[in-house]
Amino acid sequence: MAWIDVRHLTVRYPRAPRPALQDVSFQVERGETLLLLGPSGSGKSTLGLCLAGLIPDSVPAAMQGEVLIAGQDIAALTVGQRTAQVGIVFQDPEAQFCMLTVEDEVAFGLENMALPRDEMELRIRESLGLVGLEERRRERVDRLSGGQKQRLALACALARRPSILFLDEPTANLDPAARFEFFQWLARLRAQQPDTTIIIVEHILDDLIAMVDRVMLLNHEGRLVLSGAPAQVFQANGEVLDEMGIWLPQVTALARKLRAAGLPLDRLPLTVDEAEEVFAGLVPAGPLPAEPPRRPAGSTAGGPPALEARRLSFRYRAGGPEVLRDLSLAVPQEAFMALVGPNGAGKTTLALHFVDILRPPAGHVFLFGEDITALTTADITARVGFVFQNPEHQFVERTVEAELAYSLRVRRRPEAEIAQITDALLASFGLTPYRKMNPFALSQGQKRRLSVATMLAVGQRILILDEPTFGQDRNTAHALMERLQTLHAAGVTILAITHDMQLVADYAGTAAVLVDGQVRFQGTPHALFADEELVAAAELRPPPLVELARRFGLRYGDGTAPLSIREWMGLLQGAPAAGGPAKRG
Amino acid sequence: MEGLLNYYAADSFLHRLNPTLKLAGLMALVVAVTMAFDPWTPLAFLLLGLFMLRVLARVPVRQFIRPLLLFLVLGALGFISANAFFYTPLPGRPVTILWQAGGVRIILEGIRVGISLTLRMLSIVIFSILFVATTDPTDFVLSLIQQARFPFRLGYGILVAYRFMPMWRTELEIIRAAHRIRGAGERPTLRGRWEQLQRYAVPLLASAIRKSERVAIAMDSKAFGALPRRTYYRDVHVRPVDWAFLAGCVLAAAAIVWGMAQLGLLEGYGVVPEA
Repeated sequence: MAWIDVRHLTVRYPRAPRPALQDVSFQVERGETLLLLGPSGSGKSTLGLCLAGLIPDSVPAAMQGEVLIAGQDIAALTVGQRTAQVGIVFQDPEAQFCMLTVEDEVAFGLENMALPRDEMELRIRESLGLVGLEERRRERVDRLSGGQKQRLALACALARRPSILFLDEPTANLDPAARFEFFQWLARLRAQQPDTTIIIVEHILDDLIAMVDRVMLLNHEGRLVLSGAPAQVFQANGEVLDEMGIWLPQVTALARKLRAAGLPLDRLPLTVDEAEEVFAGLVPAGPLPAEPPRRPAGSTAGGPPALEARRLSFRYRAGGPEVLRDLSLAVPQEAFMALVGPNGAGKTTLALHFVDILRPPAGHVFLFGEDITALTTADITARVGFVFQNPEHQFVERTVEAELAYSLRVRRRPEAEIAQITDALLASFGLTPYRKMNPFALSQGQKRRLSVATMLAVGQRILILDEPTFGQDRNTAHALMERLQTLHAAGVTILAITHDMQLVADYAGTAAVLVDGQVRFQGTPHALFADEELVAAAELRPPPLVELARRFGLRYGDGTAPLSIREWMGLLQGAPAAGGPAKRG
Repeated sequence: MEGLLNYYAADSFLHRLNPTLKLAGLMALVVAVTMAFDPWTPLAFLLLGLFMLRVLARVPVRQFIRPLLLFLVLGALGFISANAFFYTPLPGRPVTILWQAGGVRIILEGIRVGISLTLRMLSIVIFSILFVATTDPTDFVLSLIQQARFPFRLGYGILVAYRFMPMWRTELEIIRAAHRIRGAGERPTLRGRWEQLQRYAVPLLASAIRKSERVAIAMDSKAFGALPRRTYYRDVHVRPVDWAFLAGCVLAAAAIVWGMAQLGLLEGYGVVPEA
């Protein structure tokens, strides 16, 4: 008997144009680990809420069909019995806790079960031990790092001893090292509690896929379209996955491209281990070129840097910790630079100095060689656009077109010119059909596009982006990066703050690493990922292809490893490595 | 006002008291002091408050000095001058005019009332600090639920709101920064401010609603309120010393009032000043 048995499940939210889930049927065995994939809006979270019995009681929605857990229809259970079966870890580390300290938070879910105090004590100790937080039980929740918070959420779920864990994008807000660590704890847990059934929703699969038994795919309409072993699903359904913008593990994506290019591969690798076997015969025996293909690091034609910080120190309040410590960084004109480093290293703080939101003293921050303190706000915003991580924060108007026109109106440009620029931006960012819509009503991808477009309206020559690919599917992220590349080709300087290693590997011309308020490194992505100590200190993870190169002993003459799919394609097809991403010249 | 109404984790006599009974005791003092209309009684309560702050609560007193001085200056300027100029005596009571020019006069009784008001306000501030600075918010809510039969759903709602407060401040700062980059300057006119408020409110509310929905679902997923009864990991106890504190506060208040009356300094003590 299957542990979870879902039969013809259809869920519709009030006032929604179509159901969130349509006629979904599947079974999950006890102890299975299931990866749930699908584009945003495909009903993945809704499925979790149904399993936990939160729909329709806590979340109003009409539900048809049956959900059986351990052979029992959950509709017949009480709320307490239902929620006892399923522990959920949600995506947002800030919005799933209600108590102030770690132990109180774990206790909260146990108090609700009316457990006696001794039993609570036992379970708190046990569950915090399972996620490595036993030392921090009296810590305030808000003092924990993002990764620790998500592990705490896991402990809270585990303490209730559920038979099913539903993890809803648990690592979406974490930096790469914290994500890796979370998955390691999860793998350990899976080994210790083989009876726990795990259902996980995730986008970045490289470090996760090895522990997944089965993959299920929901489509835009909330229908279940694929289900099977990971290798089998990725093997046979490439087009479907592409169409839905599902991220593949990097080695899998590479193998698919090679196959499309006519190379015979007997199977698609999912992990670096498998890739080592599959690609063994293809790796060139001869030495690699002396240097990796160059990507433009910015204009060398002279001229002052587009952005520059000189010996900049900063603390948010007197006596508080120093967030930037005597930091110097120059972003050359026409560079495409990725700014990386652990959460809290000062990346956003630094970027806010470049737009005068945080005010530097004179002589420390320069735009195109001019001291920022000598420029007016209008001058600064005309040169630099800044795209916040959450696009909603920047919206000031009620329609998309007014949003685009806003900074032009503030500058009292003639209406004819405003109309012309607005139309051009609407067209080039694919927003024309939505021009009359409220910005808040757009989809995530559209919101992001709009927030980038608004930052170009006045003809800004520098664009700073905070986590531009955060929370987006492969297609929207790819479209956005292509757009940035076009802008870059047109001479716009781009500085992207990011945890997305694929962005660094595939698009950035240079990378700067911030650790503890200081620039620890500035150079090519190749050089960055070649320095293992630096990668660890910056809480990054090298792209899987760098790890694969290490296994094969593949090195350019300068000691760096090939890191992008494009380079590897060139190497494995026997042709010399093609240049970096498409670029002018 | 930063630092004035914050909890300071420490171990002191007041920190160890049961929050509900501590609140009751301090409330008794607050009620007693509000009923005094002469300057001397509030002064005595103020000294008692300062004594408690110094001896019974281990909190960084320095943090409070500046805001307290601010209160003092505001009180002195506001209450004392207003009463000095505009004091209306009770019918049949003589007034002492200190200075007079045209229609403007300064009345001694007015100054006395002003001083009394200022001292009362200061003592209430001190008693509030005594409570807030020494009471862990979680313990306070738990104690309200466990001792005062406060509904637990509401209690936890308050705790979550408290947890989220610093987050809203950060969020608002981000939104302001984001709007400044759009070139939306903060205009000082009334209309400008109103428009600005609307602009900030939309994203702030959007995110507040989303976050609170998320927390609510997360709490429900842990069966919050699924059973009619819940147990508590942290038991907030009531010990004899808590009752002793309450009794002590009541006695101290009574002693001050009685003593002042004996000294002939008490005037018009009660809910309304008597003739």
